[in-house]
Amino acid sequence: MSDPNEKPKGGLIRRLWDGFWSPVAAFSVGFIAIGGFLGGVLFWGAFNWSMELTNTEEFCTGCHTMETNLGEYRETIHYNNHSGVRAICSDCHVPHEWQHKVKAKIIAVKDVYHEIVGTISTPEKYEEHRLAMASLVWKKMKASDSRECRNCHNFEYMDFTIQETRAASEHQRAIDENMTCIDCHQGIAHALPPDYLEEYKRVTDELQANASPESQKTDDVAAVRSYLGNLSN
Amino acid sequence: MLGILDLLGTIGGNVLSLPGILGLALGMMTRNWIVAAILGGLVGVFETVVFAGFRFTDIGSFDLAIAVLVGVLAGSLGCAIRHKGATA
Repeated sequence: MSDPNEKPKGGLIRRLWDGFWSPVAAFSVGFIAIGGFLGGVLFWGAFNWSMELTNTEEFCTGCHTMETNLGEYRETIHYNNHSGVRAICSDCHVPHEWQHKVKAKIIAVKDVYHEIVGTISTPEKYEEHRLAMASLVWKKMKASDSRECRNCHNFEYMDFTIQETRAASEHQRAIDENMTCIDCHQGIAHALPPDYLEEYKRVTDELQANASPESQKTDDVAAVRSYLGNLSN
Repeated sequence: MLGILDLLGTIGGNVLSLPGILGLALGMMTRNWIVAAILGGLVGVFETVVFAGFRFTDIGSFDLAIAVLVGVLAGSLGCAIRHKGATA
């Protein structure tokens, strides 16, 4: 005989939903708290591990459309050099700071879309889009004061006396004129498109028009200036 | 194109950061919707200030607005969970 007070149970989703929001009588608060903590640790570990997995060179170059820029990068000093230090894709294209990193990962979803629709699936299409792609990266780097370059390179760590004369002089000029890495080092890891200088100028002009005077100055440059000022006193 | 992606990226970054997580947790500590929203919003302000290295000139109004908005929404969601989930 069925209980007349019994409510209809509904479908599976409804029962799961009701069960999810029902009070837990069988477990202590401590059990729930410790279980929740352990679950959180496991979830966060798995999340972070997956995120780091998307930073590997194998992951980045897993798509067909990445073959061209991978080949170009392999010809550069960031791939093979005398010191044996290698900068992989994510070192230059993915910020280290959490908030910027998550943002970069979400924005990178567009790469999956373009891989699927084949925006740069042939060498001809790639060349057609090369300037636009480079321009986007330059814009980000210029706006962030070449933040990703500075994860490894820093004016403060440079010994100009052991640099080539031209490099030392240009780096000094960069400090004096408040320049950033990408101002000179476009094409450091990939081939440059024709008319890149005009496009770079357009990008910098656009950013300058939108930026406040305060945001042009970087702490690094300010620190170097202060350091040099102390030396001269 | 980058504008929309920039917006989505900033929202996602905040959802997975302090405003989203701590905002939700703080919202779950109260049944008062206003208090929950304020707590979430404060977390958004706090996060923006911390990530700007406590240099107020480096705080972008766009980043701050998104962080506060995500914080307020997360706090409100936390409050809704409290209303739904706490029986006493």
